[in-house]
Amino acid sequence: MVPVSYYLTLSAIMFTVGVVGVVVRRNSIVVFMCIELMLNAVNLSFVALSHYLGNLNGQIAVFFVMVVAAAEAAVGLAIIISMFRAMKSVETSNADQLNG
Amino acid sequence: MEVTESSILGLIPLCPLLGSLLAFVIGRSQKDLAGWIATLACVITFGLVVSTVFSLSEGEILAFNAFTWFEVGSFDVDFALRFDQLTAVMCLVITGVGSLIHLYSTAYMHDDQGRHRFFCYLNLFMFSMLLLVLGANMLVLFVGWEGVGLCSYLLIGFWYNNLAYASAGRKAFVVNRIGDAGFLFGIFLLYRQFDTVDFIELSTAIASNPELTALYTLVAFCLFIGATGKSAQIPLFVWLPDAMAGPTPVSALIHAATMVTAGVYMMARMNFLFVLAPYTQAIIAVIAVLTAFVAAATALTQNDIKKVLAYSTVSQLGFMFMAAAAGVYWVAVFHLVTHAFFKACLFLGAGSVIHGCHHEQDMRKMGGLLKYMPVTAVTYGISTLAIAGIYPLAGYFSKHAILAALGTTVNPYLELSLNVLMTFASLTAFMTAFYMTRSFAMTFLGDYRGHAHPHESPWQMTMPLVVLASLALFAGIWLVTTLPEYLAPVVGHAGSHHQESIIEGLVHSWVGILGVLVGLLLYTKLLSVPAALFKALRPLSQLSLNKFYFDEIYDFLIVRFLGRISQFLFKTVDQNMIDGAVNGTAALVEVSGEVARSTQSGQVRHYALYMFVATLAVLFFFVFGGKIGG
Amino acid sequence: MEIAFFIMALIILVSGIGVIVSHNPIHSALWLVANLLTVAGLFANLDAHFLAVAQMIVYAGAIMVLVLFVLMLLNLKTERPSSASVMAKVVAAGFGIAFLWMIVPLLNRSFEVFEGPAVGVQGTVKEIGKLLYTKHIFPFEFASILIMAAIVGAVMLSKKKYRQ
Repeated sequence: MVPVSYYLTLSAIMFTVGVVGVVVRRNSIVVFMCIELMLNAVNLSFVALSHYLGNLNGQIAVFFVMVVAAAEAAVGLAIIISMFRAMKSVETSNADQLNG
Repeated sequence: MEVTESSILGLIPLCPLLGSLLAFVIGRSQKDLAGWIATLACVITFGLVVSTVFSLSEGEILAFNAFTWFEVGSFDVDFALRFDQLTAVMCLVITGVGSLIHLYSTAYMHDDQGRHRFFCYLNLFMFSMLLLVLGANMLVLFVGWEGVGLCSYLLIGFWYNNLAYASAGRKAFVVNRIGDAGFLFGIFLLYRQFDTVDFIELSTAIASNPELTALYTLVAFCLFIGATGKSAQIPLFVWLPDAMAGPTPVSALIHAATMVTAGVYMMARMNFLFVLAPYTQAIIAVIAVLTAFVAAATALTQNDIKKVLAYSTVSQLGFMFMAAAAGVYWVAVFHLVTHAFFKACLFLGAGSVIHGCHHEQDMRKMGGLLKYMPVTAVTYGISTLAIAGIYPLAGYFSKHAILAALGTTVNPYLELSLNVLMTFASLTAFMTAFYMTRSFAMTFLGDYRGHAHPHESPWQMTMPLVVLASLALFAGIWLVTTLPEYLAPVVGHAGSHHQESIIEGLVHSWVGILGVLVGLLLYTKLLSVPAALFKALRPLSQLSLNKFYFDEIYDFLIVRFLGRISQFLFKTVDQNMIDGAVNGTAALVEVSGEVARSTQSGQVRHYALYMFVATLAVLFFFVFGGKIGG
Repeated sequence: MEIAFFIMALIILVSGIGVIVSHNPIHSALWLVANLLTVAGLFANLDAHFLAVAQMIVYAGAIMVLVLFVLMLLNLKTERPSSASVMAKVVAAGFGIAFLWMIVPLLNRSFEVFEGPAVGVQGTVKEIGKLLYTKHIFPFEFASILIMAAIVGAVMLSKKKYRQ
């Protein structure tokens, strides 16, 4: 069996990749996708540990994470659509009214 | 002597203080009332002084303690007043002549926009001067000393919109300040030695320690420096001629009768100190003679009538200090009183002339005013004879007494130079008579050379002139017999005065008579001679006209240097360094604000990065020093 | 069995990087789909059967489809080449590496004790269902309210403005 630390390391790397993506990319949909990547990494962690600790509560947690991710996807994309309607673009650099 | 408590004493300086306040507050809206309020305050004070003098029994001194002023460690000073014979004489002069001048001013300043300010300052001056002479210790005296300096500044620069006048006021204040530094130093030295500043305590302490000659010489010299500033002796007299920029009543009151006599009063009050410092007395005598001579020499060629009178004041003050230096203080005070009478009369007369000739002050544009302004002319003439020292007018007795005192002084340091000093003093007396007669002749005799329509002044101005001239006429004979006895408890006994006959008196005043005759001759009949003489004695007459270049020398030696230092302090220290530091701090804040502002980009990505970095930092803390990991 | 893990791990890494590197957002979405499906595979490897399927149906099947719909609806042009300056990318990557450097040893050290599976618990539908409907019934019901709120919110936000 693969030691749990491998799963955890993989999860950490995916999380970091997601964070870097959020910071670097300007298209808000791609940013959203990177957020999904981060959530995914955490899910992986939960499941791995649940498996290694013999405790199903971890998987329940993943269940609820997915629920929340789905709700968030719906609302987030609705926001992006309104943003597109208002600014004709989904670039995050255009939404800088709080500048200064 | 017995000291009695009297609370009436406190009212004497209080009246003019209240008058000053009321004159300003009420006078702002009712301009004409200001003068009457101020004059009334003065007259009331005069009444109080008179009644106090008469209630004073033989050998009694009145005292009044207003409040405890300092009580710091062992330094214990009360704000106390004391009324003895010397103070009585001074108060009578101050309030009496002061009341007359206040009355005069109500007419002289009747159309000036700022007359409520004028009377406020004038009464404030009276308050300060009374404090000065009533003070029971050196600190109260100094409060009055400073107060009169302040009022002098305010009144000289009264027409402050004129830069020259305002500068004259500032010059007076600054030069006075220099003298005051010396004065303060003297007070400090005395306190350090004797732990007191009270006059009575000091006199007993100094009398029981006659051996500290070095200290007394130094202290006396320091106090005299203060006197040179206030009483316009060399080297600090330069402010007095410039002070003529103020209104003429101010010149009469402050720069003739009262403020400038503060130095003489101070010396008389501290006579117990000066008598133990013969070296300083010798220096004072020399400076006094020199001052009197130089001032008289300058007055010979001046064309502004007020300038002539200003230099004359400096010269006469020199005479007062001559008597003080000789140790015969009653004579100094005597000349102080008579001088107050005739000099005030002269200044007020000059003011009347200026008023009547519509603000003309140049004597070359006057002349023949005898028929237009008879009262002014006669009173001016009487005062001229008085200042020339002609028997039996007041000036004769005082001047004669001064010369006698100087001639018979027993100061070991003056033995060799006494004859020289006496010669110069007599020469000065001659010049005094001459230049005063010159001013009289140029102004009132001959034909009118001006363009205005001269007229006599109103009764508020002529009445004081008459009163003062009468005093100049009759006060001398009376005072010369009564004053020495009266002042003896304070300043010690002097030699007895022997009665002279009229012939003797006239003979003794030959110097004055000669001066008057020469003056009349040159300025009524031989009118071309003065101009010719002026040209002939070119270098000397130029020296006189330019007041011996004192101002120019001071400017070159001192003022320019100080000006450069001020410029440096202003530009480099104040503007660049201090303002730079303050503004620099503000700029620093601004710049750092700008830098901090750049984090608020409005870009969500940046905010996400900041959050991530913050998490990193927390993690870092936990990994390398916290509880997780190891 | 380890081989499966390593292959899937590799695919996950590559597709993750592909998400953040692609210029075209559609490509990013497709990379993400690959990532999600492979993670589902890892879930299966870990005996979390229910979750593996749920992942495929909900995540890859619903969420990503929604994202693709939105992408195509908006018809976006390719993002401009320089999404951020090179410097910014380097800085972000640097921070990421610093983060990794700190957290990985932490994670590994904390769980050294657990080398192999303790008790092989199967994440079957039956087991998960049992837990959900007994211990976690409240969050379960609440989740439905959450989803309803999300639906209402999404509809409200994407509506066109009212014309009175």
